Order: sequence, then C-alpha cells, then structure tokens
Amino acid sequence: MSDRITPAMVTSSTLTDINSSLEALERTTDEMSSGRTILEPSDNPYGASQVIDLQSQLAGLSDYESDAQSGIAWENTASAAMSSMNEVVQRVRELLLEAANGTNSQNDREIIAEQVEQLTESVKQDANAQYAGEYVFAGTASTEPPYEQGANDEYKGNTETVSRAVGPSATIDISTDIASLLGSGEDGKLLDTLRTIAKDLRGGTVEDVQALSSTDLEALDANIATLTKLQAAAGSATDQLQSALSRNEDLQTSIAAALSSTDDTNMAAASIAYANEQAAYDAALRAGATIVQESLLNFLQ
Amino acid sequence: MSIPTLQGLQTALSGLIAEQTALDTTGNNIANANTEGYSRETALLEPDPPLDIAAISTLTGEGAQLGTGVAVSNITRIRNVYLDAQYRAQSSALGGASAQAEELEQAQAAFNEPSSSSIAGQLSSFWTAWNSLAEHPASAAAKEGVVAAGEALVRTFHELGAQLSTIATQAGDQYTALTGVGGEVEDYAQQIAALNGQIKLSEEAGQQPNEMLDRRDLLLDKLSALANVTVTEEADHTDTVSFGDAAEPLIEGTTVNWPQGMTEAAGGRLGALLGLTGPKGALTSLQSGLDTVAETLIGSVNEHLTTPFFSGENAANIAVAVEAEGVQASGSPGKGGNEVALAIAALRGGAAEQGYAELVERLGSYVQNAKDEQSNLQTTVTAINDQRQSVSGVSLDEEMTNLISFQRGYQASARTMTAMDEMLETLIEHTGTAGL
Repeated sequence: MSDRITPAMVTSSTLTDINSSLEALERTTDEMSSGRTILEPSDNPYGASQVIDLQSQLAGLSDYESDAQSGIAWENTASAAMSSMNEVVQRVRELLLEAANGTNSQNDREIIAEQVEQLTESVKQDANAQYAGEYVFAGTASTEPPYEQGANDEYKGNTETVSRAVGPSATIDISTDIASLLGSGEDGKLLDTLRTIAKDLRGGTVEDVQALSSTDLEALDANIATLTKLQAAAGSATDQLQSALSRNEDLQTSIAAALSSTDDTNMAAASIAYANEQAAYDAALRAGATIVQESLLNFLQ
Repeated sequence: MSIPTLQGLQTALSGLIAEQTALDTTGNNIANANTEGYSRETALLEPDPPLDIAAISTLTGEGAQLGTGVAVSNITRIRNVYLDAQYRAQSSALGGASAQAEELEQAQAAFNEPSSSSIAGQLSSFWTAWNSLAEHPASAAAKEGVVAAGEALVRTFHELGAQLSTIATQAGDQYTALTGVGGEVEDYAQQIAALNGQIKLSEEAGQQPNEMLDRRDLLLDKLSALANVTVTEEADHTDTVSFGDAAEPLIEGTTVNWPQGMTEAAGGRLGALLGLTGPKGALTSLQSGLDTVAETLIGSVNEHLTTPFFSGENAANIAVAVEAEGVQASGSPGKGGNEVALAIAALRGGAAEQGYAELVERLGSYVQNAKDEQSNLQTTVTAINDQRQSVSGVSLDEEMTNLISFQRGYQASARTMTAMDEMLETLIEHTGTAGL
C-alpha cells in the first residue's frame, strides 16, 4: 500500500523542498551580506565563545597599544627634560671650572654665582615637566609640581611608581625617581650642590674658592653620573615600550587572522553555494509548478 | 426448482444500487480530498446469497448455485492504527522539541551575541575604560568613563536578566493556558469523550461511524503534540487515553479526568515547558549562569578596591555603587597612582569573561541541539505522515479511475436490466394470444 502517492503528499513534499531550498538560500544571503558565518551562538557554539574571547583579546591589545604609546610619550617628555638638565649641569660645570681659575676676581665670581642661580631655577623648571597635564617627575602625586620655583628645594612628589600595562600581567615602570638626583633640600644632591656652588662663589674666602675646584666639582660630577643613570633608565623603558608595541602589532595581526578564520564568510565559497542554491530553488519551483498541476483529470474527456 | 422469472431484474437492480453506493463513496472521497484527518473510504461489496438450483433441473443431475447480485456490506475507512500510534509518539517528541527551540531561540535573541551591545561587548568596553583610567589616573573624564561603562554593563545585565525571566514566565503562562480551564487539553478531551459516546452508540447500532472515527483520530493527533498519548481501544469502541504522566487516564469512555498534575516527564510541548523552567532546565541554567557571571564580575572587580565599585550579587541587582569621583585608580593617596586601575583592566579575559563565553557556548549548544532535534523529528513526523497519507489519503487519480469503473458498472447493470426487460417483453408480448 505504501506505493500509493496522493496529491496531498506531493503538495506537502514539494512545499517542504521549496522551503528548505529557500532557507538555504536565505542563510547564504545572510552570511554574504553580513560577512560573518556566526550570526547566532547556535550557528557554532564553540566558535561563538571563541569570537567573544578573540574580540576581547583584540580590544585588549588595542588597549595595551594605547598604553604603550602613552608610556612612550611620557618617557619622551621625561627624557627631554633630563637632557635639558644635563645641558644645564654641563654649563654649570664649565662655569665652575672657569671660576676655580685663580685669575677671577670676586666680582667675576659673583656674576658666575648669579648665572648658577638662574641655571638652578631652570633645572627646577625641567623637573616640573608635564605630560598630558601630569607632572612626570612627581611619582604618583602627579597633579602638583614636584618643585617650587625659588629658594625652597623641598621635593613635593613621592617615590611611588607609575606603570603602563603592555600585556596581560606585564607592566613597565615609567616613573623616574628624580628626587634621587635633585634631592629635597640640604642633602648633597644636585639642587643642594648647585646652592653650595653659588654660596661658595659668593663666599669669597680662600676656602670657598678651593672648595669650588675640589668638593663642589666632585659633588657635581657625582650628580652628573646619577643623571646619566636616570637618563639611561628612561631610555631603556622607552625601548621596552617600543618592543612591546611591535610585539603587540604582530599579535593583533595573528588574532585578527584567527577571528577572521572563525567568523568571516568565505566569499568565494559562499558565492558558489549561493549560485547552487539559487539553481536548486529555481528547479524546485519549476518542478512544483509542473507536477502539482497534473492529474488524471487533465486527460479524461 | 426453476429460476424465478423476475430474478434477473433483481440482480440488475442490486448491481445498480451497489454501483451507485460505490459512486457516492467515491464522490465523498473526492469532496474530502483536502479535509484534514479524513481517511478515504471504500464501499465493501459482497455477493448476495446464491439461489440453489436443484439437481433435477440440470442436465448432469448435479445441483448448482446461481448468483443473485451484489450488496454493500459496509463502507469502511482505510486506516492503519499502528501508523497512528507511531505518528503520535513522534508528534509528542516534536511538540517538545519545538517548544524547546522556540523558547531557547527567544533566549538566544535576548543574549544578542555576537554584537557590540551584548554583555561581551559591554564588558570589553568596561575593561577599556579602566585601562584609560590607568593611563590618566587623575583625569575626571576617565573616571566618568569608567562609571558610564559600568552603568552600561549593569544595564545590559539587568535587561538580559529581565528578558530571561520574562521568557521563563511566559513558558509557565503557556503551560497554564494549555492545561487550564477551557485550555486546549480540556477542550480536546471533552470533544474526544463526546465522540467516544457517539461512536459507541453507532457501533451498537451496527454502523461504522467513519467521520466520527476520523475526527477522534484527528483530535488524538492534536493532543499528542501536547504530551505523550497512549490510546487503548476498548471492546465498546471507546478510546481510553492516558496523557503525559498524569496519574489517571485523561479520558475513560465519556469521562474526562482533568485537571491533573504533570511533571517534565509528560513529554510533548507541556513536558518541555515544565522542563525548561524546572531545576535542571535550560532556561534555569542560563539564568543561574548569568547570575554567576555577574557575581564573578562583582567579586573580581571589588577585590582590588577598598570602596566597592559594584554592589549586588547577581544579574538582577548588580549596580554601580560609586560616583565618578569615588572611582579608585590607586590605593595610595597620590592622585597619579594607577596600580588599581591596571589590575582591574588586567581582568580582561579573566574569570567573568570566560564564564560568560562558556555561558554563550552553552546557550548556543542548547539552541543548536533543540533545532537539530526539531528538524530531525519534523522529518520523521513528515515521513510517518506520508505513510499514513499513502494508506489513507485520497488520490484523485485513483478516485477518477474508480469513478469511471463504477460509472461503467452502473451503465452495464442498467443495460442488463434492459436486456431482462426485453426478454420479458418477448415472453409477455410475443408468445401467442392466450389470456387476451
């Protein structure tokens, strides 16, 4: 009996076939127009969770990229300020050597002392360098200038560190402990040394003049060595940030590729599938239109 | 014994009547070709009891039997009850899978993955906001950004949680509507019980109530989509119907036992609706999964802070607990510290996000399985229905052929009657004038 075919069966199976052809066609159209194969989690459950993960990783990398770039800009500000300090200090050293020369009169030394005092102010100005509204040498107290202009040499910043994230659980310290160079008042650090030099220049006694070429010069040289070390540290931080940045770019490329292979529509394959499905749909419609019309009634007279 | 003179007319008449009945049956089949649940009918023809011709009347001396025509013994519907049982079992399974697929697809739409406005997208923006704060720890705008991203994330949690609750509530409402007073279950059951009574009466009167049997089968088909149905035909031709995992049969004779309690083991749409929102159901699991993600997020962010950023403990009551100026970038008093903001930004890809990705994967698997199951069962149900159609469906080609065959039969019977008439005419009119 199962050989009997009724028009209702033909109609329903034709309709099912046309529907499934149309469904396939619609799906391919969706994939082509959206450019993605995972339109809903049920299209590919594991893929959907991968997409969430990869997209977040990609967003994270772009965060780290921006971190590294801002870190580099921060370090550039700090390095420029320290280079300027270095020039100033070298100038002071030249003046010091000139003043230690016994041929200068007290009047000459007074003039040099004035220059040294001005240069001291300029060092403090450099120490108040800002990046994006923050004082780069103030530790975490970065909203206030670390040094006041004028006679007060107290350091207002702190020694806490500021870092930038360059990867998951990878941070780079971008703070410079400027107090270890400039000091905070009478502690033999650079500012104190500069004050002493000025004082010795104005002092005028034989001991003062001798101190210029002995203890003062030694102290200044020691401070220059510290400055050079700080500059090297800043340079190394910049290098680390740079290399993190280029690693980041590589990672972005490879994760974007992974994301693309998980979710992106293969346009060539989709176009071929589309053409096939279009043809199948067309054929289903044609066959349906023909077969549903026919019955014995067409031939009975 | 000789043959009665008018016997031939009677034989031809029985042929006319039988062919006419068969034609009427065919006409009825054609009229119902597109009626849902209709089984094609056929007139069962049986020869009438023969006339004994006594031994002495024949040349050989042996007796013989002369056929006396035809009678319609019954008009019966052509139907296979085993296919009905198979159909109903698969139809219950399909009803369940369809309900699952419908509800879970709604949940999937609520999750709105993958997209930038989903929880995954909002989480990603939230971490980025903390990272911007780490870059500019003293910036009020960066703190505003963190709060705004937090608020957007919280809102998405609330909306999704509320949507999932609504879907669960609607599933419950649907169950209540189907099983409640005047619901489909009761409605079908009452109709079947009434038909049971009428069928019993007809059968007692010796008639086969084909149309009522068809209607009862159609109602049982519809009932089977709601829950598992077992039909037992009793000796009095009533159907006893057990429904789902209800303790009492839903229908016994003309009695309807409803409402009754059921569990998710009921099968069909009702079982699926109970199962989805049950303790181990997919909707429940998605809701609790979302709550866990929210709880993990709250815990992992607040852990780094002395003033909690989030309050609450689940998707429904998670909230941003601080104003912008209260957002901590650092544990130290210096305004430029950023270690806390860095630590929170580093939570990207952490437990909350992985938990969420797993939840989406689970959601995707649920929907995928439900849709696959639905489509497989749909194929099975269609195949069984095709078999039923093959047995019971009306084929117009076949009916047209029958139409011609019965019409010709009718014409031939009429012709036989004419021949008999002519024979009698010969006898009456042309055999002399005796009696005139």
